[in-house]
Amino acid sequence: MKDFRTVFLYELKTQLTKRSAIVTTVVIMVILLAVSSIPRLISLFDASGQPSVSGGPSSVSAGAIPDAGFVIGDHELQGLLAPVLGEVVSRPYASRDEMVRALKDKQIKVGFVINKDLSWEAVYQDRSMADSSDAALGGILSRVKRERMLLDLGLTLENFSAIETAQAEGTVTVMGRSGMENYFVSFAMMLAVYMMVLLYGNGVSSVIAREKDSRTMEILITSTRPSSLILGKVAASGAAAVIMFGALVLAGLAGFQLNKATYPPMVLGMFSSSLTPGFIWTYVFFSLFGFILYLFLFAALGSTVSKMEDLSSATALVQFLFIAAYLLATLSAQMPDSTLAVIGSVIPFTSVMVMPLRGAMTTVPWGQLILSGLLMLLTVAFFAFLSIKIYRWGSLNYGNKTKLSRIVREALRRA
Amino acid sequence: MVLEILDIKKSFGEREVLHGISFAVSSGRAMGFLGRNGAGKSTTIRCLMDVFRPDSGRFLLDSVPFQPRKMKIGYLPEERGMYQKNEVLAQLVYFARLRGANQTDALKSANHWVDYFQLGDYKRKKLETLSKGNQQKIQIAQAFLNEPDILILDEPFSGLDPVNAQVFKDAIKSFVKEGRLVIFSSHQMGYVEEVCDDVTLIHEGRILLSGDLSDIKLEEGRSKLFLSLLDEGDSSLPEIMHRAFPGILITPAHGGFILDTQGEDRQGDLLKWLSAQDLVIRRFGLYEPSLTDIFISKVGEQA
Repeated sequence: MKDFRTVFLYELKTQLTKRSAIVTTVVIMVILLAVSSIPRLISLFDASGQPSVSGGPSSVSAGAIPDAGFVIGDHELQGLLAPVLGEVVSRPYASRDEMVRALKDKQIKVGFVINKDLSWEAVYQDRSMADSSDAALGGILSRVKRERMLLDLGLTLENFSAIETAQAEGTVTVMGRSGMENYFVSFAMMLAVYMMVLLYGNGVSSVIAREKDSRTMEILITSTRPSSLILGKVAASGAAAVIMFGALVLAGLAGFQLNKATYPPMVLGMFSSSLTPGFIWTYVFFSLFGFILYLFLFAALGSTVSKMEDLSSATALVQFLFIAAYLLATLSAQMPDSTLAVIGSVIPFTSVMVMPLRGAMTTVPWGQLILSGLLMLLTVAFFAFLSIKIYRWGSLNYGNKTKLSRIVREALRRA
Repeated sequence: MVLEILDIKKSFGEREVLHGISFAVSSGRAMGFLGRNGAGKSTTIRCLMDVFRPDSGRFLLDSVPFQPRKMKIGYLPEERGMYQKNEVLAQLVYFARLRGANQTDALKSANHWVDYFQLGDYKRKKLETLSKGNQQKIQIAQAFLNEPDILILDEPFSGLDPVNAQVFKDAIKSFVKEGRLVIFSSHQMGYVEEVCDDVTLIHEGRILLSGDLSDIKLEEGRSKLFLSLLDEGDSSLPEIMHRAFPGILITPAHGGFILDTQGEDRQGDLLKWLSAQDLVIRRFGLYEPSLTDIFISKVGEQA
């Protein structure tokens, strides 16, 4: 136990004092704070006096089509469009040719010829990929045309507004989990697990492979038991990940608390409906033990190689397995009650991500939760044992690559 | 304290590399473990350190099974390695703690040995920034951490310059003086001869000889005399001498001749005969073979 603590503290300190780890964590924290402040920034922008869509259905900001020039069919149409397109239509060009000259002189970026029947032509000198001025004008004129038709039918603008905004009233009652509301938050949390497993899994396998490559392993295994070494290293990687993840969660929470007032109710609703105690417990249990399981797999594979350059091919199998788990989880989010999702949420290698996501999308029966949890614990215990044996095997074997099946056989025979 | 290696056998696959080797080492003595490349020195040491498990045989310390992780042992493996990207002092403290020291003692011991090997300026440096020679000294320093009762060093002199080798030899001698047990393997016979009280010679997985170095030298030099003449160019002497003493084997060596009397006491006769030959004798007396002579002679016999 004492040696485990020594290994754990040394490895943890080594990982936490790595400049790259500190910089990455701080950068992601800043990004999280910035992302969580986006609603506030938007509200500040809105409050800064910039014109925006307002008023009735036919009132559209002239700023929606900036730097535009117009040639308008007749005065009546000009009067009709003035409230919609703003002051600019009160100073139309006399002819298309005059407008084209203004385009060539770069006085305007886009020119519109609007005919009496509201048909129109957009003229550009150069058109950028993102320029959608013509689509905006098309939308405005279509709406005006619809209004004109309604007026011809004897309906008022108020009638039109009432018809357009009329909705059947209804309420939604979800007795279990609401997949629509929970999807975003649970998927984001699953992505966090995905990044942690790949980042720290590869980290722990590199640490062990480097020890073997640099021949430090022989000093270590003659100083203490392999179990203290492998358990200490895995625990240190796990703790480093939890500390980093914790720092990111704190940054996210701080941003959320600071900017909560500016969040749309829909976003607040998503958080409050997703982050239930049941979901959080399921997420913490399966993510944590699944993460530890993958750390043991990565650690064991790291000890099978003699050179650092062989590491990526040695860990490819477990990386593929984990990516498969990720794909299965995304599929399960769409069909949380399908047979595939149920099986995926029970098998420990995939339940790490599938079970929390299923738990967010649907009501998972207790039996499945308990079975999956037990299987996860047993698998973690077995792979912890196996990784200790493989680590010990790895400390004696240098040189030629050996098949994984043979490594497992020989490692267990020495046990 | 007596460490006994008893009938150790070890195979890799179908090939047996240690064929039941046995020898013993006592505390207060340094033992040189000699052999050619591939003779089985490192395998024996790795079996002793429980890196490899022997197929059969026992390691006993004062007649009870030897458990390396429960003893205060300093070990320098043949394949050197430490954390290249970590600070020198921090990793030495880490190794000392893994071997049972508390934080204070570990720090004290690490500081002491880094200073002893004159590397005090590099304590806070990453190992990879040190020269190869200095890295070698740090690796040797890790074996001395916690002042071990048993010191096992595999090829410790390789890569050391003469000045550093002297510093290292002094450390070993002081350990031996304090009654600790030291085993080291080496190809460098001069160092072994200088430092060791005992030697064990292994060849192709078998022990050829083991024991007190002085006794071995005496035994190997028994019934042998050494004759050196001022006129080294006289090549007819062996033939003339052989005619006078047909039972004596004469072998040129070390700028003179080794005279093997085959167990007979012919020293007086030879001296009289040499005096009568009108030769200028530079040296005539008992022959004491060097360790290199013994090594070549013993391994040569087996080849």
